[in-house]
Amino acid sequence: MTDYRYIGKPIDRVDALEKVRGTARFVGDYHLPGMLYARCLRSELPHARIVKLDVTPALQVPGVVAVITSDDFIDHGRFGFPISDLFMLAYEKVRYVGEGIACVAAETPEAALAGTKAILCELEELPAIFDMEHALDPNAPQIGPAREDGKHPNFLGHFPVYDGDPEAVLVDCDAVIDQNYETVMQEHAYIETEGSLAIPTVEGGVLAYVSCQSPFIARGHIMRTLGLGETAARVINPPVGGSFGGKDDLNYMTAGQVACLALKTKRPVRMTFSREESMIASYKRGAMRMRVRVGADKAGKLRACHFKATYDSGAYSSQSPFTSWRASIHAMGPYRYDACTVDLTTVYTNNGFAGAFRGFGNPEVYAGIEQAIDELAEKLGIDPLDFRLQNCLRLGDTTPHGQTLTESVGLSDCLLAVRKASDWERKRAAYAHQSDPDRRRGIGVTALFHGTSLGAEGTDEATGTIEIHQDNRVTLTSGLTDYGPGSRTVYCMIAAEMLGVDIQRINIHLPDTNLAKDSGPTVASRSTMLGGNATRIAALNLRQNLDYAAADLLGCEVFQLQRAGESYLGPSEEPVPWEVVVEHARRMGLVLSTFGRWSAPKIHWDEEAGRGVPYFAYHFGAQIAEVEVDLRTGLTDVLNYYAAHDAGKVIFPQGAYGQIYGGVAQGLGYALYEDVDYMDGYLQSINFDTYLIPTSVDVPEINGSFVETHYSQGPFGAKNIAEPAMVPVAPTILNAIAQATGRRVRKLPANLERVLLGETLHKKGSPVSCKVALKSV
Amino acid sequence: MTKEWQVRFRVNGNSVMVSVPPMTSLAEILRQQLGLTGTKIGCNNGECGACTVIMNGKAVASCLVLAPQVAGADIRTIEGVGGDKALHPIQQAFLDEGAVQCGYCTPGMVMSAVALLEENPNPGEAEVKDAISGNLCRCTGYQKIIRAIRHYAAGR
Repeated sequence: MTDYRYIGKPIDRVDALEKVRGTARFVGDYHLPGMLYARCLRSELPHARIVKLDVTPALQVPGVVAVITSDDFIDHGRFGFPISDLFMLAYEKVRYVGEGIACVAAETPEAALAGTKAILCELEELPAIFDMEHALDPNAPQIGPAREDGKHPNFLGHFPVYDGDPEAVLVDCDAVIDQNYETVMQEHAYIETEGSLAIPTVEGGVLAYVSCQSPFIARGHIMRTLGLGETAARVINPPVGGSFGGKDDLNYMTAGQVACLALKTKRPVRMTFSREESMIASYKRGAMRMRVRVGADKAGKLRACHFKATYDSGAYSSQSPFTSWRASIHAMGPYRYDACTVDLTTVYTNNGFAGAFRGFGNPEVYAGIEQAIDELAEKLGIDPLDFRLQNCLRLGDTTPHGQTLTESVGLSDCLLAVRKASDWERKRAAYAHQSDPDRRRGIGVTALFHGTSLGAEGTDEATGTIEIHQDNRVTLTSGLTDYGPGSRTVYCMIAAEMLGVDIQRINIHLPDTNLAKDSGPTVASRSTMLGGNATRIAALNLRQNLDYAAADLLGCEVFQLQRAGESYLGPSEEPVPWEVVVEHARRMGLVLSTFGRWSAPKIHWDEEAGRGVPYFAYHFGAQIAEVEVDLRTGLTDVLNYYAAHDAGKVIFPQGAYGQIYGGVAQGLGYALYEDVDYMDGYLQSINFDTYLIPTSVDVPEINGSFVETHYSQGPFGAKNIAEPAMVPVAPTILNAIAQATGRRVRKLPANLERVLLGETLHKKGSPVSCKVALKSV
Repeated sequence: MTKEWQVRFRVNGNSVMVSVPPMTSLAEILRQQLGLTGTKIGCNNGECGACTVIMNGKAVASCLVLAPQVAGADIRTIEGVGGDKALHPIQQAFLDEGAVQCGYCTPGMVMSAVALLEENPNPGEAEVKDAISGNLCRCTGYQKIIRAIRHYAAGR
């Protein structure tokens, strides 16, 4: 076991001090001289053609300085990857309630709002589609442009995995489950709403502070849609007040809008959203409807899985092609089968729009497969944890995709860890026989695999830089954002470990496109592996120069060097302080500013054949929930929660445990309360009074633990953690509820009526609150 | 034009006077008139607690307190907790326990904790949970925040 000084050891977050003092400056905290306030006119209809858009009356409103529409951008501000169907502001059509149509900059927020109300915007309402099951009907209203391949225009994509013929195997199985499951949309509910600030530069460009996931993507969209050169558009990430996937496409629009207005007015322009505007305008986790068929033999061997699903991307594609793909890869769960088919179809509707959200399609598919596996175990009369242990992926197994797992597979150890921590066998047996007529307890389990980083979704590399300054401070840059998980601390720890210096010497810049290097998107829990490896290599390159200088100074060979604290030691000399070595390196003319680039192992996926190597490594995990259900009200109380995760070597334990706790809490909300309910395209819950997320009294004590399987390609053996902690929570709780009540809730969330009555009550909705909020300060 | 009200009150021990329309919230006064941006606004609806300050000894959602109600009040914000150099021990406990992630809810969370501990120096777990139940946090699952407050109380 290597003895590290920092890796895996307790350390304070590098950005926590300014946050507990309240001095961390988020976008909304900037008040610059001459700053204008921006506000969008947003669509009040779910689907309409823009017949007339005249902004001149708004310019007459006192305080209004400028108004922009899609005409103020190149190609109307079209952007989006891989499908380019979004616009900086709506062009020709609006496809959901809350879509930005025009943007006003004014001296005060009130004047900006008055400006939006003065715009003459005539919309011709078009028929809309809100039910994903009917999105591909021949006569369904067409949302996007016609497709070149002649397929239905509301068809977004098909995402298969094919391994043998599950139909042939299912008929042979001793027990088969054939059930439908459904998830609803979820709101990210970061406590800081969206915001951007753009400042015109004297060179005619723009500097933007954007609360977003990926500053280089924001810069790219600003450059392309406003015709600016690479250095003329600069994006800095201020501290980001939570994101969870949410501060991506929508806030790139916000950034583009304020950048355009700053160039037009030659003044700083800031836009920050109200909570209502945030909830109405922002994309969500998409909804999914699944039919899952799984079969096994009497002895408990899983044999076949046929997973068929429809995923609702809402009005735009955003990240749905990637989300859907990740969902399809994991839809069969972390098990061995004789045959498996996944068949996932993604469609457009006018229900807001779906995009990236922690887990990226996996919380959705796990709500299906991990309940189906439980139902199958029950049908066979086998303990659901034993059933998972018997069938789960192990080292050397080949997955249904055709990938052989050659290292770092800790799933069975995770299952064993939660079984022990939770006292599973005793509780499972005890809860099978309860007599209290009012309250019943249950305990449920799930198993998880989750591909690390982007996978075959795209090019996967990152670059970090490191520099020693004249005063011997060391600074790092990364093009990846830390919106809460702690990656900036991880990078400082890695750099300190590699250089052999005190971590107090090391500072990390905020992500800045003029200082850092493009490292791809900050998504897919890839920061530790990709950014961590890049930092490791950058620091290694720097240390090689320092080692060379130390050897020269001490008159020895590099391999003879030893370290005592920061100091260097040669075979015969007294210790030489690190600063002296650095100074000697400077005199020798050695470079003290280096970078490191890391590219992920090459992988491939055949989209037609539904086979390949989708991810270069997997995170594994197992979770157990213990619940008490009040049979008189349907209220579920989560009493205890156990989560064991194989994240490879844990670099920053404080941060990693924070991800488990936070992920479980977010999943608990998804399981029990959270429901983004659109009524004919109008969001019904537009603030935290009706959209309920877990509070301190709802979240139980969470027993988290790590199974540290070394991953050879990860920095110090690390894999990832942020998303996976959240992925299996909902089915874990639903499996526990099923034991408690004897009845399964197959549609999320497991709210009072679904638990108590076993059915979904239909509420009346109204477009009023959305319409009022879009016109309020 | 709405008539402006002159409101005199104390913030972090200093006497201040602002002139604002009566519907202006204390959160807006602190952030915009006084530049005390440590107090955050998350929902402007009294639900999320990011704007929590201590008003006359009690934790309040400053987005729900209107200008006329502030007249004569004693207000403490995150900027008045600890000093320029030293941290309040509860801030140190947040650091030690790793109770900070994105940090947007943190100032409000600290203010709720300070109000609780000044009223009840040795709260039980249920009391801690109750005291911060009006402060939403989407990152931490509350676990380390609760630990930080309890450990601080236990260590005094």
